[in-house]
Formats: sequence, structure tokens, C-alpha cells
Amino acid sequence: MSAIPIRLALVGNPNCGKTSLFNRLTGARAKVANYPGVTVERRSGMVTELDNPAELLDLPGTYSLFVTSPDEQVARDVILGAQQGERRPDLLVAVVDACNLRLGLRLVMELRSLNRPMVLALNQMDEARRRGVSINTAALSQAIGIPIIETVAVNSHGVSELRKVLDGYAQQPPLPSGEQALALSDRQESVEALYDQIESLMRQHVIQPAELPRWQDRLDSLVMHPVLGLVVLFATLLVIFQAVFAWATPLVDLIDGAFIALGEGVAGVLPDGILKDFLVDGLIAGVGGVLVFLPQILILFFFILVLEDTGYLTRAAFLLDRPMRGLGLSGRSFIPMLSSFACAVPGIMATRTIADPRERFITIMVAPLMTCSARLPVYALIIAAFIPQQTVWGIFNLQGLTLFVLYFAGVASAALIAWIMRRRTAREEFPLLLELPSYRWPMAYHLLMGLRERAWIFLRRVGTIILALSIVLWFLATFPGAPEGATQPAIDYSFAGQLGHFMQPLFAPLGFNWQMCIALIPAMGAREVAVSALATVYAVGEESIDAALGATLAASWSLPVAYAYLAWFVYAPQCISTIAVVKRETNSARATTFFTVYLFALAYFAAWATYQIASAIVN
Amino acid sequence: MNTAQNNKLSQALRLDQCAKGAQVRVVNLIEQPLFGAQDERVSLRLKELGFLPGAPLKVIGFGFLGADPLAVQVNGTKFALRRAEAAKICVEPIITDR
Repeated sequence: MSAIPIRLALVGNPNCGKTSLFNRLTGARAKVANYPGVTVERRSGMVTELDNPAELLDLPGTYSLFVTSPDEQVARDVILGAQQGERRPDLLVAVVDACNLRLGLRLVMELRSLNRPMVLALNQMDEARRRGVSINTAALSQAIGIPIIETVAVNSHGVSELRKVLDGYAQQPPLPSGEQALALSDRQESVEALYDQIESLMRQHVIQPAELPRWQDRLDSLVMHPVLGLVVLFATLLVIFQAVFAWATPLVDLIDGAFIALGEGVAGVLPDGILKDFLVDGLIAGVGGVLVFLPQILILFFFILVLEDTGYLTRAAFLLDRPMRGLGLSGRSFIPMLSSFACAVPGIMATRTIADPRERFITIMVAPLMTCSARLPVYALIIAAFIPQQTVWGIFNLQGLTLFVLYFAGVASAALIAWIMRRRTAREEFPLLLELPSYRWPMAYHLLMGLRERAWIFLRRVGTIILALSIVLWFLATFPGAPEGATQPAIDYSFAGQLGHFMQPLFAPLGFNWQMCIALIPAMGAREVAVSALATVYAVGEESIDAALGATLAASWSLPVAYAYLAWFVYAPQCISTIAVVKRETNSARATTFFTVYLFALAYFAAWATYQIASAIVN
Repeated sequence: MNTAQNNKLSQALRLDQCAKGAQVRVVNLIEQPLFGAQDERVSLRLKELGFLPGAPLKVIGFGFLGADPLAVQVNGTKFALRRAEAAKICVEPIITDR
């Protein structure tokens, strides 16, 4: 057993299944989906079930060592050992999609010219066979001079064999011999020479080439149709938002009812006093208020996961490239933006796939305007309280439609801001060059893993940051108690009450009351906390223990105020983690400050305008 | 690559001029002034992706309202290219028996 574990690195084209293999080999649960550029940073883990320790690196995909975007740069730096403070990998595990042999082999041959120890995992062999591909693996292996293992990463086929091979290397680390530096000269010619070599390899060892199933082309001619494709896209998005409300309602009611019953049960058992107040007003109202939104979040993610796993996302990017270009963006910005509907943090990291620095900057700046899932509870609470549950135009649920409008407001604002920020001078634009992967049925395993992951993230947030903030807020809303002979409700004398009253004049033009102001502060930590904060503040303030927060809000806020609060949350308080990731990805304090200030200003203005206009209409 | 050759090639059929469903073969890659200093890198990347002389291509479709970008199949893989990139690729039609 060697003291230092051997270092292995997975390298290959984008979307060839490196991360699936990584998950299989290390037992990790890194995100996998069917579009190029899911993995944008290096990640490492120890290979399980080996006799000798081996560290495996998962890298972003790249077509070539001559890179064009920040994520490809990461892969290249790790492969060549140019990454600061990192040992160069001892063995490269090249992953090639067997359905896409030419493109994969090209990178393998390029890596081969470095003369470094390497093995090849020929992945997605099941799909390749289904498409009629037949490869003489043994002969191909001999011709290239490296071991080839056939694998199907999504169902672990061939993975144990790969493990065995890797274990062999781990036991006896390969010695580098006579390695070559990367030669830049005569690139154009060497590309052609390499392809000639690949052509002859294919002719000799690939008995039957891949044939793309006919239905894939038919589907593409619909979803990539210049007009019908857009209809399909918008219909899909509308269905998602309808489903978030329509499907979730029974489950939401169930959870809500359970928490009301729990609150009443606890209130009935415990004697009056501080402990009862804490449990009922602080814990149950605060945490329960957020937890009821779990079904809606899971439904939203179910759809996002299905879209990611089928390969449809790149088609949407294709359709929207042209309109996005007018805004200084491109189809490449689409996937980071869509990821931001889940959370802006991975969305902003996904901008590493964008080659053009200016476009990447704009995408980072506007990505948080996509409504992240943490804002969904805030929207859902206020919509449920103020928008009647009715059907309009025969088929649409008015609440679902309102939600769609709020999401759309974020998208439209992002478009406007990107348009303002785009560089006006003519520039050398970097091309689109986006691979459109073949379609795949979404895998139940990926969906379940993805949903489990999202549910876990949400519950962990509820159990940690939201719980903690709820407790702190309850404390602030309860102490100090009202002085002798107080004329106002007790909460007005508490820390929270004082702070809320202190902030309120600043937000008076927006129509916010002091309770709303209070909720804005913990919402900086996690946006859902706005809901639990409102629940706590109102629960402490009121004598009744009616846990139906929506009803309380409907009774105490006017309609323009509710709209203004929604408008505020469309734009602002980006949570702290978003600001931190902007700082890391732009590596600029100026850009981060600009980002923070402009979003706050926009939120203030939007809420003010909404309040003024809505008030004028109502009166 | 000399300019005389470029001029001659630029009069040939280019990928961006092809209709949906067209099956063509790559003849050569030419310069695209729009890309400026990036042009060589773009040519390189196109070649790496398989847009090499002799490679058969199929035009799958066009993006937003029939304008830009266009989707092309090369060696069984589908790529989205913008017109400016497609204009770098000179092609000739493939005569099929079908």
C-alpha cells in the first residue's frame, strides 16, 4: 500500500458521462444531467471498494486542450498540472461517449500525444448498441495503445471492471516516461492529421456506425421549429407554474393543517407562560410557516429535473439565442439563467461555460432576477392570501397565473437590465458553438436523487438557518416585555418592535408596516425566513393562536401593500450567499458592490412604484 | 492561406446559405472578418468539432423565427452554430440516391 494515494482524473468531452462515472466510483451524488456544462469545477473523492487508496478528480468537460471558456480552462489546468498547489494526476481516465466516438477519440488522441499514462472508459455502451454500433474494443485498444473498458455509468455496468483496472494502477503507480509538452505550432494541420488517424481507426475497428433514432429527428423538427418550438417552450413553462399551485394545494393544506393542530395541541397541554409562547409562537409558527411550501418546491424541481435530464434545455437555448443576443447575451446564458430559478448560486457558477467575459459578467449581474426557489414561499404566501382561487379564461388558475406574472417580471427586468448593460461598441463576438445532445428518457433514479437532494437541502435550511432565525426573532419580539401601565401592545416595546418602528419611516413611501420591515432583515440570510419572520411577529403580537398566517395578512395588509411587498421580493434582498458567490466569480469588489447596490435600488424603486400605482387605482 | 484562394472560395456555397434539410459536404473553412483576432481560434474549434474538409453535414433547422442560429449535424452529433460561424464553412451539395 503506497502512502500517498494515486491521483486519477476523469477527462472527456462535455456530457459524455464523467460525473455519472464519478458518482459510481466514489459513491458521491454530484449533479448529473443531459446537457453540456453541468460540471464547472473540479471535484474530488476517494474511489470506494479498492485495496489501494485512489483519489479521483471529476473535471468539467472539454473538446480540446486548446480551451475557450473558464470551465474548460479548469480541466486543462488540472490535466497539465498547472493548477496552483495541486499535484498533476498520475493517471488520466479518458471518458468517451460510444455514441459520439469521433469527437471523443479526438480528445483522447490529443491527450495521447502528451504521452501520459491513460485508460479509456468507453461509456454509454448500452445506448450505442441500441443504435447499432459495434466496436472491436480489443483491437481499438491495441491500436491506440491504452486499455479500454466498456461502461454504462448510469446503471453501473462495467464499473467494477474499471475499478479493478484502477486498483491495479493504484497498487503500482505508473511511471511517467518521456512525456511531451503541449505543442501549439501547426495546430490547424495537426487537427486534420489527427482526424485522418481517427478515420482509419474507425474504419478498422468500428464495425457499424451509430445511427440516430428517427424519432429524435422528428422531435427536433418540432421543438426546434422556428415558430412551433416557441409555442412548445412557453406552453411548457406555463404548465410548470400552473402545476406548482394546482397540484400542491392538497399537500400544502395537509401540512398546514398538521401544524395548526400541533400548535393547538401544544397550547392545550402546556400551562400559560414563556415556554408555551416560545413553542407555539416561535417554533411552530415560524418553522411550520416555511415547511408548508415543501410540496411546491418539489413540484418545481421535478419539472426542472425532467427538462434537464431529457436534453431539452439546449434546444430552448438554441431557440432563444437570437432574442438573447439583442440583449448582449446568447443561448449560452440560458442554462445559467434557468439554473437560477432553483438558486442563483449554482446559476452564477454555471456562467463559467460562457466564453465571452462581457457576456459572462452581464449574466452574473442579472441571474438573481430569476426567481429562485427560496422566494417561492414568499410569493405563495402572499398570493394565497390576496389572490382569489378562481378560474380565468376557462383553464387558468388565477393564482398560478399571478405566479407566472411574477416570474415573468423577473425575466423581463433581467432582459431590460442586460440590454442597458450590453456593450454598445461593435465587438468581436465569440461564436455560439453549442452541442445539442441526443434526447434521453429522464431516468427515475436521477429524478428521485434530485428530488431527495432538494428536499434535504430545504429541510436542512428549515432545521438550521430558518429555525435559528425564528428563535432569535421570537426572542427579539418578546423581550423586553411591556413596561408597567403600557398603552400599546407588548410587542411594540420589544427589540423587534423598536427596530421595526425605527426602519419603518424609510419604507413608508412603499407602504410597508413595521412588521414587514422586520421580516426584511432575516430574509437576507435566507429569503424563506421572511415568511417565518412574519409568522412569528404576527403570532407574538396577537392574542389568538390562529396559525393561518395568510388570513392574518389578508386582514392587516391592504392590496397595494401586498403587491409592493411582492415587487420588493422580485428584485431584492439577494441573500448573503449570492453576494458571496458574485464576489468569488467576478473576483472584483467593485462589481460586487455595484451588484448589491443596483438590486437594492431597483427593489426600492419597484416596490415604491407598485405601491403608488396600485394605491391610485384602488382609490 | 493566401487571399486569392480566399476570394475564390468565398464565392462558393456557404453553410449559412443552405436550406433546412440540405445535405452537404465541407469543402473548406474560410476567414470571417467579424471574428477579428479570434478567427483562428474559431476555425480551430470548428475543426476540432469535426467540421473538416470532406465531412458530411446535414442542416437540421433554424432558430428563433427562422433566423439565427442554425443547427447542423456532423458525424452524428448536433451542434448549434451562428450564421457568422456557418459562413466560415464552404460546402458542396451531396447528391444522394434517395
